[in-house]
Amino acid sequence: MATMRHTERHCDPAGDVLMTTPLWRRHLLLLASALALALLATPFAGLLIATNWQHFHFAGGDGPAIAVSLGYSLLALVPIIVLGTPLAWWLARHHLRWQWAIDVLLLLALLTPPLAMGLLLALMYGPYGPVGSLLERAGVLLTNSPTAFVLAQFYAALPYFVIAARAAFEGVPRELEQMALTLGHSPWRSFLHVTLPVARLGLAAAVALAWVRAMGEFGVVLIVAYYPQGIPVKLWVNLQNLGLDAVYPLLWAFFLTALPLPLVLGLAVRRRRLA
Amino acid sequence: MRIDYEIERPIALKATFDVDGFTVLLGASGEGKTLLLRAVAGLVPAHGEPFDGLAAHRRAVGYLPQGHALFPHLRAWQNVAFALRGAQRRQQALEWLARVGLADLADRWPATLSGGQQQRVALARALARKPRLLLLDEPTSALDPATRDDVMAELIAEVHAAAIPALAVSHDPALAMVADRLVLMHARRIVQVGTPEAVYAQPASGAVARLLGRRNVRHGRITGAPGGPQRLLWPGANVALPVTTALADATSVDWSIASTAIEVYAADAAPPTAINGTFEVCQVGPRERHYGLRCGGERLWVTLPPGRQLPAAPMLHLPAASIHCWPAV
Repeated sequence: MATMRHTERHCDPAGDVLMTTPLWRRHLLLLASALALALLATPFAGLLIATNWQHFHFAGGDGPAIAVSLGYSLLALVPIIVLGTPLAWWLARHHLRWQWAIDVLLLLALLTPPLAMGLLLALMYGPYGPVGSLLERAGVLLTNSPTAFVLAQFYAALPYFVIAARAAFEGVPRELEQMALTLGHSPWRSFLHVTLPVARLGLAAAVALAWVRAMGEFGVVLIVAYYPQGIPVKLWVNLQNLGLDAVYPLLWAFFLTALPLPLVLGLAVRRRRLA
Repeated sequence: MRIDYEIERPIALKATFDVDGFTVLLGASGEGKTLLLRAVAGLVPAHGEPFDGLAAHRRAVGYLPQGHALFPHLRAWQNVAFALRGAQRRQQALEWLARVGLADLADRWPATLSGGQQQRVALARALARKPRLLLLDEPTSALDPATRDDVMAELIAEVHAAAIPALAVSHDPALAMVADRLVLMHARRIVQVGTPEAVYAQPASGAVARLLGRRNVRHGRITGAPGGPQRLLWPGANVALPVTTALADATSVDWSIASTAIEVYAADAAPPTAINGTFEVCQVGPRERHYGLRCGGERLWVTLPPGRQLPAAPMLHLPAASIHCWPAV
């Protein structure tokens, strides 16, 4: 007797693939997804349980740490976007003989362990480094200063932004940009009015990614900008000085501060894709 | 308007011809037709008139690429208004859309429009730019066969109404038939120019005949001098056919015969010079039927009038007077 293959019609427009999937395979799919979600949720369930809700209070200096993280991360996004966007566009639109070298450079920046990246930055931008000593003479201090904090976040997030933004630009048909040219728009105007808006969803994802990287950065910041203390470093300080209980409230504050931007950007992206 | 362009890369191409009304440049795929359009639009490096040396955004062309390239993030009217400036741009865009019969669809996103509607939006957008020349790349390729003729009729009527010279490049013989002027390209050269009537009546070469959609165009060789008994050797079918030409002995030729000119006989009634054909396929037309018959290694298409049946073992007679020969290039 032939095996019965159960197939079900699915109304979800995004679920076309599921329409012809046998039932047992769909169960397997659901099971795997549920397991992945459960694993993801486990640490946060721990946080929910471990937080002392009756005596929820912040440690001294937590407030400034939140302000530092939020303010300087937003500030770090400026050079990341201003410098990363042209680079990403250029990489998406030009194919050079030395392309592989640029790819290696981007990969290196992604791969370098944060602590090591911090050491390398200190080497170059520190008071005895070639760039750092020059800048220090000009009055710009690149160790334990707000500038150093932004610098650390810039290095931590830029490669992620460039790679995501490059993919976004690569998704814009070149023909659309050329069409804008034939309609009398200069290359700059066609970039503004066609390339950017068509790539906006991917660019939003790139910004969200850069933000997440910048906000959560610990290793690089620890080396070059222990002060001013942002949330990740302050979590470490709280743990060392006051114990675990001082970590959880600040962690909750971190989520509240860091989550809205990528959440809103991500939701906007997903909504458009499903539409 | 005279087009005179020379392109060096990615392929070398030189083309000089006049665009007059709705002009179709007919050529096979890979001839560089799209490249020529893009060169005139300033999108690939090239030299030539008109617009020599101008950046793409300073050339007054209306370019309609294959697939139309509507901006997906803009509504239909915003696409048309893209080339317009000033406070009146929405109003003007709506007027252009009304001209191409799409006023009702002004607020639709491009993805929700049919191929023909997208093409009309693209045309309105190109016309709104007030171009001196319209460039259309394979305008029939993205159209549904059922509505293709109507969409093209409207497009050509619009082009005539706008009184802007239009150059359409295509490999579609059906589009060539509705042109005001036909330019034929083969081996990256312009090989014939004229009205469709003139070109259809006397194709300049076998390549042109093929471009025009003639089916029975084959290679061969002439034996015998003009005036004397001449034969056409058709190596593809390994036969020799009696012909009368002015071509010298041993001339390599492209030859052609109309599918309606081939006479079909049953085996017992065939003239001695008739050749064997083996039935392969039958195309049913509204009245007549077209048969694909294999002759040796190649095929001949034969059209039989309504009511005529193909005999069981058909013999084909190709009358000498109906065979056209061109020296092969």
